[in-house]
Amino acid sequence: MSAVDEKKVNAAGQPDPNWEPNIVGFACNWCTYAGADLAGLSRMQYPPNVKLIRVPCSGRANPQFVLRAFQKGADGVLVAGCHPGDCHYATGNYFTRRRFLLFQRLLEFSGIDPRRFQARWISGAEAPKFRDVVTQMAEEVKALGPNRKLREEL
Amino acid sequence: MSDNMRNNVRDNMGHMNNQLTQEMRDLARELLASGEVKGLFGWTKGSRWYLTPPVFITKPEEADRLCYDEFAVNNLTGLLLDFRDSQDKIAVFVKGCDSRGIVRLVQDNQLKRENIVVIGVPCPGMGDKGAVTDHRQAQELPLLAKCLECRYPNPVLADRTIGAVTVTTEPSAAPSGATAEAAKGRGVGSKEADRFAQVEAIEKMSPDERYAFWQAQNKKCIRCYACRNICPACNCRECIFDSDKKNWVNKAATPTDNAFFGITRAMHVAGRCVECGECERVCPMDIPIMAMNRKLIGDLNELFGPYDAGVKADEKPPLGAFKLDDPEEFM
Ligand code: SF4
Ligand code: SF4
Repeated sequence: MSAVDEKKVNAAGQPDPNWEPNIVGFACNWCTYAGADLAGLSRMQYPPNVKLIRVPCSGRANPQFVLRAFQKGADGVLVAGCHPGDCHYATGNYFTRRRFLLFQRLLEFSGIDPRRFQARWISGAEAPKFRDVVTQMAEEVKALGPNRKLREEL
Repeated sequence: MSDNMRNNVRDNMGHMNNQLTQEMRDLARELLASGEVKGLFGWTKGSRWYLTPPVFITKPEEADRLCYDEFAVNNLTGLLLDFRDSQDKIAVFVKGCDSRGIVRLVQDNQLKRENIVVIGVPCPGMGDKGAVTDHRQAQELPLLAKCLECRYPNPVLADRTIGAVTVTTEPSAAPSGATAEAAKGRGVGSKEADRFAQVEAIEKMSPDERYAFWQAQNKKCIRCYACRNICPACNCRECIFDSDKKNWVNKAATPTDNAFFGITRAMHVAGRCVECGECERVCPMDIPIMAMNRKLIGDLNELFGPYDAGVKADEKPPLGAFKLDDPEEFM
């Protein structure tokens, strides 16, 4: 067991109650990232578990991003972008919707809990929604515990 | 079946194969001699009675190398990618399942339809060489699983045909042409309804069992990329698994890296896989690759409406299209 994992269990081998999930979020530049920014500007409180990676469009996030995040140690992955109809590039998120709906099912088929991979529509004005989504996902993934599946074993 | 009947079936099959082989050679000779095509992909008899591998010929006198029998299983359409930058006209023989690969390549803008002469052949169903028990002596072999599950025994498109095969885009159409009876007798398409059975069995497992199941498969994968190389849908000019610099995935064939490969491969052909079954057939490690493909096909059908890839060139693959009112579980 690597040093990182040891932090997740206490001496008795029980799950560490202080363990915090590591969530990677791919956020569309035009909506979700702006929404997250607004949440920060508005001094909203939300758990710091989500590390956002800015992408030009949720359609830019492809399944490899998600798999790679799990490989590199993510306990959960979020893809978030503009609501359907609001895409900066007109239609990008309609492709996102089909792609990740399918991909979430494929992950489930591969044995990954679908709660570990989620997609959400969060507009630039929806700071409260960003806060709620992040809070909820952090709670859900925390309840699921550390993810070992697909993790790189180097 | 009595021994006598079985011998009759074998004799008839042999006779038919000779006839089809003859027709194949005649047509190839004509196409090459007239200069209509620069080259032609077909099958030739291999070094064993149960091997009929691909062959590429360019001269009319080479036409006699061609051969057709129940081991001409290779889908030749992916080989056409060698000519994607060429203006040469190339001919290729296709069975029903193979023919969908042509539509795939044309739709993906890898080939110009007018640069290919598609020759449809009737298919008797392909024998499973994995069941060979005596390497020296020909024997009756069961059909490949993919042939039992076949839904397109007839070519969906063709410029020329041999063996009086019918060209049709209808699924589940009865096998046609010279081998129709043999195909029916041997059970081509008889297990069509079972093609999602393995997917359903995996879905019934618990998440941890599913993960363990795929881990066990991923442990076996040696990342030879045979599954990718044979696939008409895997037609990227630069495959992400060949690009060293971008570091998409470690070169080591660890179960995790293999999982990354397997899931990515499946997603990349999602909505475009023509169900030729070649990936699974060529896998030296017996990985049930079609279960992945079929999972995606089943879900795509359920989510976005029924769709058979590689049948109609003017129908967009489901992940390359959208509807405003697509289902949405995200929010
Ligand atoms: S053919 Fe089989 S062993 Fe080779 S890369 Fe594909 S899945 Fe792995
Ligand atoms: S993924 Fe397999 S079944 Fe699908 S087109 Fe490629 S080789 Fe054929």
